[in-house]
Amino acid sequence: MGVVGTWVRVGVGVLLGAVTGLVELVYLIWAGIILIPAWPQPRTRRAAVQRIQAGARNLAEVERWRLAAFLRAENASDYTGARAVEYLLLRWAVGLLGGLVLLLFLYGAAVGVIWTFEAFTGQSTLLLIVSQVLLSAVLLFLIVQGFIGIAAVERRLARHFLGPSTREVLERRITELSTSRAGVVAAVDAERRRIERDIHDGVQQRLVALGMLLGRARRAPDNSELIAQAHEETQHILDELRDVAWRAYPAALDNLGLHEALLRVAERAGIRVRLRYELAERPPSAVETAAYFVVSEAVTNAAKHAYAQEVTVDVTQADRLVVRVRDDGVGGADPGGSGLSGLARRVAAVDGEFTVDSPVGGPTVIVAELPCV
Amino acid sequence: MRVTLAEDSTLLREGLVRLLAEEGHEVVAAVGDGDALLAAVAAEQPDVVVVDVRMPPTHTDEGLRAALRIRERWPGVGVLVLSQYVEKRYAVDLLTGHPEGVGYLLKDRVAQVGEFLDALVRVGGGGAAFDPEVVRQLLARTTHADPISRLTERERTVLDHMAQGHTNATIAGQLHISQSAVEKHVNAIFDKLDLSHVTGYSRRVLAVLRYLGS
Repeated sequence: MGVVGTWVRVGVGVLLGAVTGLVELVYLIWAGIILIPAWPQPRTRRAAVQRIQAGARNLAEVERWRLAAFLRAENASDYTGARAVEYLLLRWAVGLLGGLVLLLFLYGAAVGVIWTFEAFTGQSTLLLIVSQVLLSAVLLFLIVQGFIGIAAVERRLARHFLGPSTREVLERRITELSTSRAGVVAAVDAERRRIERDIHDGVQQRLVALGMLLGRARRAPDNSELIAQAHEETQHILDELRDVAWRAYPAALDNLGLHEALLRVAERAGIRVRLRYELAERPPSAVETAAYFVVSEAVTNAAKHAYAQEVTVDVTQADRLVVRVRDDGVGGADPGGSGLSGLARRVAAVDGEFTVDSPVGGPTVIVAELPCV
Repeated sequence: MRVTLAEDSTLLREGLVRLLAEEGHEVVAAVGDGDALLAAVAAEQPDVVVVDVRMPPTHTDEGLRAALRIRERWPGVGVLVLSQYVEKRYAVDLLTGHPEGVGYLLKDRVAQVGEFLDALVRVGGGGAAFDPEVVRQLLARTTHADPISRLTERERTVLDHMAQGHTNATIAGQLHISQSAVEKHVNAIFDKLDLSHVTGYSRRVLAVLRYLGS
């Protein structure tokens, strides 16, 4: 969508708005005409009002569609008939005003064509041409401003009268929250499963192996070699245990903060990691944790599944904290896979946005935007 | 004995191979997943198979399913299953069908080298070996609470040892009583549990276990 496309879209929107404005004006006049004789009787009055409101709602729905399609303004549909009538009482005028701006534009364009024709056929003086160009530029500027103004007024009117209402906003938020809450529970369960696996497949196996070594040593006549092996094994077990604990929750995150913890991830990654960390102050702890896990999971994936040589990690902050992890691996990562969907849920839980871009052949770019409030 | 191992942790697999070699057993194959195990058993026909329950690809119960397949297709091969946790259902699954050459141990029991080797020999010889923990759970959860509750404390202890696959002689040694006293307890247990007399230690163990696990 280029600049021209945008202007055509807005232009068509305003043109349609002028047409609907005319229709609305006619409708309101008709409404007045049927309301006057029905007014004295409460019953007939109620019926008339209901008819008018139903029609007004239909017209307002047309406006809603137009605003969504051409002016990029989404509004809710849960407004009352009375609100629709109020909306139309003001809206028709804006529509016609838009029509006038459009006419002015067409008029200006026609005059411009005539002037240009005259300039090329030598019917004007240089002074005249200069003044015409200046005048055209000013007029064009005014017309453009007119369009922008009309579009803005349209959006504001619709937002004011048609919503989204508070209820709709709340409902959306509740849906969002219950989705992310379910996601958080699932993510936590997945984490626990991973930790359980880590403990059994790592630490416990090593402990059983150690027990076997010692058991063999007790049965062997010459056991110094076995005891030496067992001693070495205890060192491995300790390393493994430290790793498992770290993967469950990196304690350094609390004491030393995100930057230190990420440096540690880079050290342990086994591939080259370029870390650019540009936060002036420490983000809130929940955000730090989410950011940490995004980086550590993404780096692990890059090393393990994407066969990457190098990973670039950028942690920056505008109004939101942005974590961007890019690797030069084979791509084709599945956002629905357990690791990445877990990250998506973790990010959603802190109201962030999470995107994975991983075409086959790479590169994979993972971005998480986390609000810091 | 000729042994086939299935264990996905390289570390443990190597350790087991060494241990068994030191004890004079012959490890004819050591593999890391259920399919490879079945292939190895088909090719080698070992005396006994040691199999870990959790193996790739899903790390749930591949090992157990492979063990059940082996018991079905090669009834002569003893199967000793190692499990991370005691699962009553696994024990019951293993006990269905023919009641010889089966064992179910907690994985950690491997560190008790003596007990593990002992169990392996029993299973390889057509006997049974059940982890004390498995037996305890079966006793605790049995649906036949009634007959079990009629047992005396001493009889319960004897049953517990019996269910692990021990002989009267070893039970007598462990409880510091005479063998005839053990036999008396055993007969009392069979009477109370209403089990028909069968010969052979593994049979009696399995009869008791199946009764408890049903």
